[in-house]
Amino acid sequence: MSTPMTSPAVQAEGVWKVFNEGQPNEVTALADLTLDVAYGEFVALIGPSGCGKSTLLRVIADLTHATKGTMQVAGMSAAEAREQQRYGMAFQQAALFDWRTVRRNVELPLELQGVSKQDRSKRAMELLEMVQLADFADHRPWELSGGMQQRVAIARSLAVDPPLLLMDEPFGALDEMTRERMQNELLRIRKETGKSIVFVTHSIPEAVYLSDRVVVMSPRPGRITDIVPVNLGDRNEDTREDERFFEAVTAVREALRGNRGLANSDMRARIGEV
Amino acid sequence: MSHRLRLIWPPVLVALVFLGLWEGLVAVNDIKPYLLPAPSLIVTNLSDNFSGVLDAALYTAYTALLGLMIGLLVGTAIALIASRLMVVNKLATPLAAGLAAVPIIALTPILNNMFDITSRTPRVLVTVIIVFFPIFVNVTRGLLQVQPAQLELMRSLNASPSRVARLVRIPNAIPFFLTGMKIAAPLSVIAALVAEYFGGPQQGLGSRIASSAANTAYGRAWAYVVAAIAVGLLFYLATLALERLATPWTGRARSV
Repeated sequence: MSTPMTSPAVQAEGVWKVFNEGQPNEVTALADLTLDVAYGEFVALIGPSGCGKSTLLRVIADLTHATKGTMQVAGMSAAEAREQQRYGMAFQQAALFDWRTVRRNVELPLELQGVSKQDRSKRAMELLEMVQLADFADHRPWELSGGMQQRVAIARSLAVDPPLLLMDEPFGALDEMTRERMQNELLRIRKETGKSIVFVTHSIPEAVYLSDRVVVMSPRPGRITDIVPVNLGDRNEDTREDERFFEAVTAVREALRGNRGLANSDMRARIGEV
Repeated sequence: MSHRLRLIWPPVLVALVFLGLWEGLVAVNDIKPYLLPAPSLIVTNLSDNFSGVLDAALYTAYTALLGLMIGLLVGTAIALIASRLMVVNKLATPLAAGLAAVPIIALTPILNNMFDITSRTPRVLVTVIIVFFPIFVNVTRGLLQVQPAQLELMRSLNASPSRVARLVRIPNAIPFFLTGMKIAAPLSVIAALVAEYFGGPQQGLGSRIASSAANTAYGRAWAYVVAAIAVGLLFYLATLALERLATPWTGRARSV
């Protein structure tokens, strides 16, 4: 779009987030965090609970404010990016509205933008085609399975065609089989749309399978301890049994344990730095 | 249709068996009508005095309906304000609980003195007070108890608070409103009826039950009681029908 491609999709610089500042229950959720996400890049945030990965996503989305530091999204402040709908968001709960049909759930962001009834209905149907749920357009969300509900939520996050997708453990509540199917689906959608994606997960294989870079975080205070690049090329079902996939999984696991010694750098050399 | 019949016949059978046992028990033990009249006696009284019972039922039903409607409006309006202003919420909640704890029996004679005892006003007011609490509590909860992810989503979509209210909070509160109404509707009939025990116009069910019993016409008193039950049930069923119309999306979770 009109965004200058020189600025990254997301640019966090020296970001701090402190909850209950100055009180006895003060928690430093993010400590001096710096991270760039390039246009079209898929970045996974991984770490144990309390490491601040969801908080980081919320600062990017301007759902909460950084205590210190700057957060830029698509070359503007996070607040402006939210006001101008430069990102779409998906949560662990699909957060669909039961009183709206599937199609009208997907239409919601367009409705808020004042898009005409006809145009938003057309757009919603295109998106439902993309997530292969066109047949369910007039169903109620609760008539759909968990995986189908998440696909509706993803379609909704794409409604205003934002350049960036923020996803907070969107497949966390799904069973393993559905989850793997959804991962393939997300990669297909990414390929078709060229979106930049920031994806929070606590699954190592999921992070490796999906992303170009895995950002490893650790708690108390929440910070980035390592960034593992993943070069697996085009993914397909065979990728999950590829030796390079397992090597990347091991590299992330080691990084999570804090063993960032020789073994790890050796591994990274073999996977190939970007 | 056969599915419906299968749903209907068990309770009907239970009712018939119950009424049969009752009739038999009264006949065999020769129980006097002032203790417990036989169902046949009640039915006889009901058919002999049908237009009288119907008039009394309509009178009380109208009081109840008026009180129910005003109570629904006031309860919903205050809940809407309370959900937007925490101050109002903190003030209104204990006040509402206090109102709910006021014994209706103590209140009626006072309201009869405050307002014109020959009018319907004190009775409608008693009904409003009874209806207010379940509506206020339920609607407030429905407006506030929205999934956090849904609120975050609306913020991510840059929706103003008034649009969040219109698009999320109010639709979210509709099933809660109807739950409150299911409690409030039969209560409104009871409130209207009990309020009639404390003087004033005599054409309602409550007045008629009291005067029939005072005149040892127990069969007739019970005929009015049956009418009171019928009116309460009618109010409840009307609410169920409204729920079906107003919230087609809750079809899965609906039971009673």
